[in-house]
Amino acid sequence: MARAKFLCDAERCIECNACVTACKNEHEVPWGINRRRVVTINDGKPGERSISVACMHCSDAPCMAVCPVDCFYQNEEGVVLHSKDLCIGCGYCFYACPFGAPQYPQAGNFGSRGKMDKCTFCAGGPEENHSEAEFSKYGRNRIAEGKLPLCAEMCSTKALLAGDGDVVSGIYRERVVARGFGSGAWGWGTAYDQKDG
Amino acid sequence: MLRKKTNGVARRSQRTSILSQAAETSVDRRTFLRGSGLAIGGLAAISATGGTVTQASAAGAVNGAVDLVKSVCTHCSVGCTVVAEVSNGVWTGQEPGWDSPFNLGAHCAKGASVREHAHGERRLKYPMKKENGEWKRISWEQAIDEVGDQMMSIREESGPDSVYWLGSAKHNNEQAYLFRKFAAYWGTNNVDHQARICHSTTVAGVANTWGYGAMTNSYNDIHNSKAIFIIGGNPAEAHPVSLLHLLRAKEQNNAPVIVCDPRFTRTAAHADEYVRLRPGSDVALVWGILWHLFDNGWEDKEFIRTRVWGMDQIKEEVAKWTPEEVERVTDVPGSQLKRVARTLANNRPGTVIWCMGGTQHTTGNNNTRAYCILQLALGNMGTEGGGTNIFRGHDNVQGATDLGVLSHTLPGYYGLSAGAWGHWSRVWGEDLDWLKGQFQTVKAADGKDKNLMNLTGIPVSRWIDGILEDADNMDQPNNVRAMVLWGHAPNSQTRMKEMKTAMEKLDMLVVIDPFPTVSAVLHDREDGVYLLPAATQFETRGSVTASNRSIQWRDQIMDPLFESLPDHVIIAKLANKFGFGDRLFRNIEMDDAETPNIESVTREFNAGMWTVGYTGQSPERIKLHMANQHTFDRTTLQAIGGPADGDYYGMPWPCWGTPEMNHPGTPNLYDMSKPVSEGGLTFRARFGVERDGDNLLAEGVYSKNSEIQDGYPEFTMQMLMDLGWDSDLTAEERAAIDAVAGPKTNWKTDLSGGIQRVAIKHECAPFGNAKARAVVWTFPDPVPVHREPLYSNRRDLVADYPTYEDRQFYRLPTMYASIQKNDFSKDYPMVLTSGRLVEYEGGGDETRSNPWLAELQQDMFVEINPRDANNLGVRDGAQVWVEGPEGGKVKVMAMVTERVGAGVAFMPFHFGGHFEGEDQRSKYPDGADPYVLGESTNTAQTYGYDSVTQMQETKATLCKIWSA
Amino acid sequence: MLRNFIALLLTITLASAAFAQDAATPPEDTRAATGGAPTLADIMARQNGEQVPNATRELLTGDPLNAANVANQLGTLGGASDSEVYRALRFGTADVTVSTQQPAAGVLIQDRGMAWLQFRQGPLLTWGGYGMLGMLGLLVLFYALRGRIRIDGEKTGNKILRFTNVERFGHWLFAGSFLLLGATGLISLFGRVALIPLFGKESFAWLAMVSKWVHNNVAWAFMVGLIMITVMWLVHNIPNRHDLKWLAVGGGLFSKDVHPPARKFNAGQKMIFWSCVILGVSISASGLSLLFPFELPMFAKTFAIMNDTGIPALLGLGTLPEVMAPHEEMQFAQAWHAIVAFVFMIIIIAHIYLGSVGMEDAYDAMGTGEVEEQWAREHHGLWVEEMEAKERASGAATPAE
Repeated sequence: MARAKFLCDAERCIECNACVTACKNEHEVPWGINRRRVVTINDGKPGERSISVACMHCSDAPCMAVCPVDCFYQNEEGVVLHSKDLCIGCGYCFYACPFGAPQYPQAGNFGSRGKMDKCTFCAGGPEENHSEAEFSKYGRNRIAEGKLPLCAEMCSTKALLAGDGDVVSGIYRERVVARGFGSGAWGWGTAYDQKDG
Repeated sequence: MLRKKTNGVARRSQRTSILSQAAETSVDRRTFLRGSGLAIGGLAAISATGGTVTQASAAGAVNGAVDLVKSVCTHCSVGCTVVAEVSNGVWTGQEPGWDSPFNLGAHCAKGASVREHAHGERRLKYPMKKENGEWKRISWEQAIDEVGDQMMSIREESGPDSVYWLGSAKHNNEQAYLFRKFAAYWGTNNVDHQARICHSTTVAGVANTWGYGAMTNSYNDIHNSKAIFIIGGNPAEAHPVSLLHLLRAKEQNNAPVIVCDPRFTRTAAHADEYVRLRPGSDVALVWGILWHLFDNGWEDKEFIRTRVWGMDQIKEEVAKWTPEEVERVTDVPGSQLKRVARTLANNRPGTVIWCMGGTQHTTGNNNTRAYCILQLALGNMGTEGGGTNIFRGHDNVQGATDLGVLSHTLPGYYGLSAGAWGHWSRVWGEDLDWLKGQFQTVKAADGKDKNLMNLTGIPVSRWIDGILEDADNMDQPNNVRAMVLWGHAPNSQTRMKEMKTAMEKLDMLVVIDPFPTVSAVLHDREDGVYLLPAATQFETRGSVTASNRSIQWRDQIMDPLFESLPDHVIIAKLANKFGFGDRLFRNIEMDDAETPNIESVTREFNAGMWTVGYTGQSPERIKLHMANQHTFDRTTLQAIGGPADGDYYGMPWPCWGTPEMNHPGTPNLYDMSKPVSEGGLTFRARFGVERDGDNLLAEGVYSKNSEIQDGYPEFTMQMLMDLGWDSDLTAEERAAIDAVAGPKTNWKTDLSGGIQRVAIKHECAPFGNAKARAVVWTFPDPVPVHREPLYSNRRDLVADYPTYEDRQFYRLPTMYASIQKNDFSKDYPMVLTSGRLVEYEGGGDETRSNPWLAELQQDMFVEINPRDANNLGVRDGAQVWVEGPEGGKVKVMAMVTERVGAGVAFMPFHFGGHFEGEDQRSKYPDGADPYVLGESTNTAQTYGYDSVTQMQETKATLCKIWSA
Repeated sequence: MLRNFIALLLTITLASAAFAQDAATPPEDTRAATGGAPTLADIMARQNGEQVPNATRELLTGDPLNAANVANQLGTLGGASDSEVYRALRFGTADVTVSTQQPAAGVLIQDRGMAWLQFRQGPLLTWGGYGMLGMLGLLVLFYALRGRIRIDGEKTGNKILRFTNVERFGHWLFAGSFLLLGATGLISLFGRVALIPLFGKESFAWLAMVSKWVHNNVAWAFMVGLIMITVMWLVHNIPNRHDLKWLAVGGGLFSKDVHPPARKFNAGQKMIFWSCVILGVSISASGLSLLFPFELPMFAKTFAIMNDTGIPALLGLGTLPEVMAPHEEMQFAQAWHAIVAFVFMIIIIAHIYLGSVGMEDAYDAMGTGEVEEQWAREHHGLWVEEMEAKERASGAATPAE
């Protein structure tokens, strides 16, 4: 069974933010919501490197476990999706998430949040594939179109990989061998350790 | 019930091989997840094949057919293919262009967000005119009439040179060509574009070293490099997708990446060696490396003997640059430069990459020639993996340069000589005397009549002086009175305080652009300002030349938004208004009275661009390549089978002869290992055959299969006759040649292409086979030397390495010594330099109006080293004033970082809309103000122009900083 | 002062809930030798599902000193290996900048979420639930044994004004909002286990949405009520000697004809009052930091203070985390909010019992505000005398006539 995974190759990421804008482009994500972000370590110093982060679609996802209304579900590729109809915007998934993936539009009075929005691995939501409703709530459903997440597909240096975990790790291994250095891919321990697909 | 059905049958025929298998059966996601992106992620970089029409996707949830339209990104020069999903004329989605050998589906932040054009919320929506300080909507007819009439009256009173036509690197090739032709018909050489302030020093320096002023190899060819030497460039931010190729060489060839830059750039972060040099000391640095090469005898002596002239004079100069002296001038320790020299010597072929960091100096042409000489000494020229890979800035700055949107030449670098005008008037079928009549004739110093058609015009970098300078000091009778800024961001130019004054002094300011640009708000004019909405390149079609000289075709994705019009339509409207429309479009088919047919324009310049081989790339061939991108090899760029078999992708110029000759294009310039007919080339014989008694032609080396097995001069009809090859000419060719100048006709002026065809039939390069010249005796500094910037805080070096004397060229007096002699270093102790951010491009009017990009960079900032910050008492994130020695000052946010060295401050140049602390948002037409505004670094940037091309000096001036 | 108190209570709860685990185990140094790689001990521990100490690993994040000087060859790593960088990220010690402006965007990874949600689903749910059921059980038992506490003496028929309208308004504002908040709070905590199975997700989601809205907005009423009762009754609730006597005989709750003297409030009521004030303030504080996410962090500071007191150490908790990711602040806020809520509700259940079914006529005090004179003499003898003294002084007539 294929297991969907993201991998960001920090040796290649140049913080060009293509993944960020590609995501906004594909899903018409509004200003202020960032399903994906690029984090840079040691900015401007030797050893500077960047990592693109979004929902990692954990095998044993804390957000799923903590959600008071149980609005999350995981499809058979292990993609963690949620229903905006059920979400009450309590913010607990953000507190539980190791990667800070969930995002919330400001809605109404003091700090009260709107429905949570996060990376869907371009797999839409519970609605009918390609339906108007699905697009307006979750953005495009590329997986159902037989395509991979656009952020990875458009990555300028192919640093960000998305797809079948076996293929992804295979490619990364290939690179590590070519480089003769490099080690564990960032975030994998946390996201996929527990029960790996 | 929440568990959605996960294996519904895919709605569209899959594009990738993997995916298409998947589509046949009911969908197995595993195969999906092995999809296209990954195929390319692999080192093998095997890619997938492209589909054309697919079923509806979720975008906008429109049903019905979705067309995939191929275009090319309109930002940098990599030439990334943009695949647009268009549904009922609406641009609904953007897909990766897997098939493109240039980007293999990749994009940077800018390319990945171009679909925002489909929204275009902050576009200039209709023609506008400023009346009594208010923006007023007007019709196109009214706009053209009013603008046209005023221009004609200015022409009557002050002559055609009082109207300045500032063009753009955003034109496609056809528009660029029409624009230059239009200026010629208007009767002025006061026409120019961004290339002047981008790579003009490169073009001049490189062309004068070995023939052509362009990137010699390609982004893809970097796959073959064994070493990568980047100086004054930050491709990770300015050309992100080029890193795809660069990192591949780094990982697979273990090619060391060496980055020389005053800033520890994002590129440097991925380098093996980072050389922090003092801004403006490039020549010294390169000589410092060469010192070690020569000292250890690491230079390629055979290559130098056979293919380079003047290296001994270089050696004399280099000998002065001992490690100690180099360290004194560049701040780079000799030990490091020795290591760099050894790395370059041990890893050949290596490529040299440079950008604005090297070009934008008063000594820009010296810098670029020094880089070339480094490659010549290493013997890295004319070989795969070597060459000087000059990354151009804009999507079509190469094309616009080739097609002569420049004040010193006609299309194809023919220059402005009588011969050049003769050639083009033949191509245009124009009466040369009528053309002469369009230009102004003045009395020269010697009392003779002098037609200004042969006099270089005012360059972009100096248009403000064209307005402000006393007319008596200029080589044209009157000042510029009307300014046309056509796709140009004024905030990309220095001295903005004076620019403001200049704009206010004009009779009329016309801005033709998809966005209002800073030109709409910088000045305090109450009227006489026109904003005309131009369409973007996604709203029209045409060819575009990437940095590697490959020509790609853009199909039209959508109709022009709002009332915007494509550039060539606006040109036609004006030409008709001025009454020479019929002449201008004499040989060009018209789709309607105001719409020149793009393909037919391409064919016209095909018929005249013999010098740079823009003749073989017919629209049909270009489109064929775009349609069959997947058949081209990702490293060699050569098609393997398929309809374009053997061609190099986009037929990188020179693509010799006529389209019928089917030349494949030249992937790597001056590569003798291939026959000329298959993309091989020699150094161009452009500078005569001998100098000081030395032979300037190649010594016993020649391109593969050449029938002349030695150096030879450029081909003329006479030469063919001498060789007895003229018998190979067809009757028509012979007739055409006789029609031009008989035996004197040469490969550049022969409109039939016969001379080129015959030369290549015998595997000879039409332009001859010569040596590259390390010494350009026609330049102010024949041997490149280090000269301090005009504004230098190293007075000790100013004494030893002074700048030039003031000189008069490009119609204007230009100051050097008279500025440098004043010591500003007391009041302005810090060096100020500028550069790009990945999210924005150029003046940023377009990218700052794109919410997806603007959100990522919301504040203009200045990078300050922690040491300076602490000395100045500035905290990270605090507001500071940055003031240049000419008094221009900007209020920006301080970013305290080690990215810049102590004593150096850096500002990005994409921001505009604030001026010396004043927010000018209210001055924009309603709803057309960019999301993000900010101070422009160029408000604080200063005077200083290259001694050959008038390139502005933005990379090394002075400033002082204090907290606001 | 208040902080310390919250902190103290928290420490105890933490101790019981075993909430701060990895800080709990003391660091070992065997790992330093393996360069941070797991030792056999670690592997065994992980296999037994035990917590593996990270103390040493946290420090192995590369040596800035051996990071390449810019003038030297950089290599590709700049002094720190990937794994070292990732460790720095994992333990929040990396120097990070980020492309977006969202709160906490700079945190690449925070791994306390699991612990928090496990606590929330496990101990909090069970202990809280049983706590409330337990108290109900006790009261039932008490009712069975003691029955309703009657007025021993003869009723006079005279009524005495015990609480003014303002006082009763304050009480009911406080009490009413408390009930609403408690109910909605319980819904959002128990909903997933208890209600979804019953009503299904859609209908529960609607209920939860309403609950969240109510909870967020009614909170303000609660805080106003809290302020009112504190202002009005603080003076009457300052402990005095009578309280000792009252406590000595258990307030006479457990035996007939025992009526220890009390003023306006007896010791029992004072205890209720003070727990309302303290728990109320604490729950409001944590509630506010939940209402304004990431804007009112308070736990890192609190823990710092606590660590200074040395109490956590005494309780064998080692030192509590003083540096934490914004998320962790919120996790603590939520956990603490819930803990206090349960304690609060348990106490209030008893209060409600005594104020209603538990004692004859007691309800009138907050109902009409006027109480039977005899009842007052029995339960608040001194207070009645005070009132009468006042009246004599003012020479006014007794209310009933």
